[in-house]
Amino acid sequence: MKPSQLTTENNPLVLGQTTAPVSTPVVGERRRFVRDFRTPPAPPPPPHLDDYQSIIGQGNLDALRFLARDLKGKTIKMVNSTAVGGGVAEMLNRLVPMLTELEVTTHWDVITGGNDFFEVTKAFHNALQGSDYQLTSHVRDIFLMYNEQNMQRMQFGEDLVVIHDPQPAAMVRARKGSSSHWVWRCHIDLSHPNPQVWDFLRTYIEQYDAAIFSSQSFTRSLRIPQYLFYPCIDPLSEKNRELDDSTVQAVCDDFGIDRSRPLVTQVSRFDRAKDPVGVIQAYKLAKKYVDCQLLMAGGGASDDPEGAAVLQEVKAAAGDDPDIFILDLPSWCALEINALQRASTLVVQKSIKEGFGLTVTEALWKGKPTIAAAVGGIPHQIIHKLTGVLVHSIEGCAYQIRYLLTHPEFAQRLGENGREHVKENFLMTTNVKRWLLQFRIVNGRQTASVP
Amino acid sequence: MSDGQAAEGPTRRSKKPFYFNTSEHLLRISGEKAMNLSQLLEALHRCPPQSVFQHTFRTLQEHHFIRHGFSNDFAHWALSACNEKALAERLASVDVREFTSIEDLRQALVHILEDYVQHNPDAAVRTADEPFYFCIAELVVVPTSFIPDTLPGFADGLRRVSIHSIHHHFIEARLRLRLMSNDFSQWLLEEMNLPDTARAINRIDIYTATMENVRQQIVRIVERALQ
Repeated sequence: MKPSQLTTENNPLVLGQTTAPVSTPVVGERRRFVRDFRTPPAPPPPPHLDDYQSIIGQGNLDALRFLARDLKGKTIKMVNSTAVGGGVAEMLNRLVPMLTELEVTTHWDVITGGNDFFEVTKAFHNALQGSDYQLTSHVRDIFLMYNEQNMQRMQFGEDLVVIHDPQPAAMVRARKGSSSHWVWRCHIDLSHPNPQVWDFLRTYIEQYDAAIFSSQSFTRSLRIPQYLFYPCIDPLSEKNRELDDSTVQAVCDDFGIDRSRPLVTQVSRFDRAKDPVGVIQAYKLAKKYVDCQLLMAGGGASDDPEGAAVLQEVKAAAGDDPDIFILDLPSWCALEINALQRASTLVVQKSIKEGFGLTVTEALWKGKPTIAAAVGGIPHQIIHKLTGVLVHSIEGCAYQIRYLLTHPEFAQRLGENGREHVKENFLMTTNVKRWLLQFRIVNGRQTASVP
Repeated sequence: MSDGQAAEGPTRRSKKPFYFNTSEHLLRISGEKAMNLSQLLEALHRCPPQSVFQHTFRTLQEHHFIRHGFSNDFAHWALSACNEKALAERLASVDVREFTSIEDLRQALVHILEDYVQHNPDAAVRTADEPFYFCIAELVVVPTSFIPDTLPGFADGLRRVSIHSIHHHFIEARLRLRLMSNDFSQWLLEEMNLPDTARAINRIDIYTATMENVRQQIVRIVERALQ
């Protein structure tokens, strides 16, 4: 079978490509036990704290245990709107067992609601990120009614209650008469919210003891203290754990990627905000001067009509270039994404709009020289020319691809610094530390001022 | 080596052990932001000392792995968001180790900014690409299990504590001590009578090395004293 004939039917790794097959010009030796990626695998058991020792060092683990010591026996409740899918659930899946292992018992509850509630909260989500929206009393009633129902359903005997995102925000009314501390963790960008929706929510947000944001630029003016928790990745997850070279090679073989030639990769769903066509244009400009292959790996085309349309645009832009690989992978192909990132010479994230940009964090963690647009939370991660390079245009991206491919020592230094930056700021263990510090602070444990 | 420890032997015990600690930080968003250099100057005048600490001492710790090219958040912003290279160079040249108080450090930064704004009035009001967000560091000092009272034990602790502990004792210490020194040098001087070793450690340049390199240099100097 010619590689260009690979389709969903004959290769379980190539999904959502019912009309045009993926461009895979070379196929090496195939893996003997290719997983069936049409059904998600069972999640592996969560790692233990000691498993992180080789990554963060004993000193940092000891610091976590010290910070938890005063909180031993205290309890936390995390409340969010979904148990599976999405970054918050993924993060809580790791955070909850780690805090519990530190003897700060942490419970996780998920709110329930009808379709009407989740339609309202989806509209709120978009409105809080700047979309037009008309807030009516009917909408307010739906929002508050389901928050009230969930308040009645849950119990709040914990010492710290953490409410994630706007959906359950009004549940703070349950704190009346209780000695618990309440914190609101906002994972979305509130820098340009719809004023009606924000004014409505603000009355509830200001009843919390503190609010936590993912970036300084995502915040609003509030009468309560605000803290900064960067999003994080788990270095032991399937997507980020170390892989031996044979695994990386096997995945590349499956997709026909030639590891003897430079590989430039963007991992992101097929979404115009990620500017995938711009990445192809940058690659084509760079390729006039340097040899390379381009890999566009992502998802979102199978279950999203807009994603499917973007995928077609990407294929059209790629044309018949045999060095462009376009892979539409389901979200549970974490191991493959991990391997492809590790096989890459450079990683690109040329987004036009971005949240925090955890795909950048993943690339930096793997020590990859990374070229990324200066949008959203990316400048927190990429310090220009120190931990990666920031670009503002297709031409700038093309130039940096050329430069980094022809200056491997500089590229390597960026990669090394990038990994250290993630180790310091964007790992799950750092997030555990932030929660322990936050708990101590709202609990009245004294922090020091300037030394 | 002119230090007089050799006769007493490297394993003699100090009266006071060295308590290796470390400090952990949580970042509070102050709500104050600057959109241009004039606003940065105004905010720098009135921001709490914990903000000055965060954007100088603390950010240096956060970027401990960078060998050169990063000094403090003000310099970084002047370059990356304002494209004011001369100002960035001047702000970057402010060495936190020359200050034993945050207020003195604040005044040094204010002085550079005032001078620049006065001589570059257009640059002072030009809108930056990104705002500067003032943050505040909330600290918790955390003990470690390393409490040596001998030089070999001290060297072992240096090798094994986290890099944050090295920063805590070597860089932040001068704000506690109010001395142009650091915890390591003070202990070596006062408890181990090793003035040359103490002085050599205090002369290590933190702006041309990563904090890991700094640790290795300190260990090498202590190992020489052990010979």
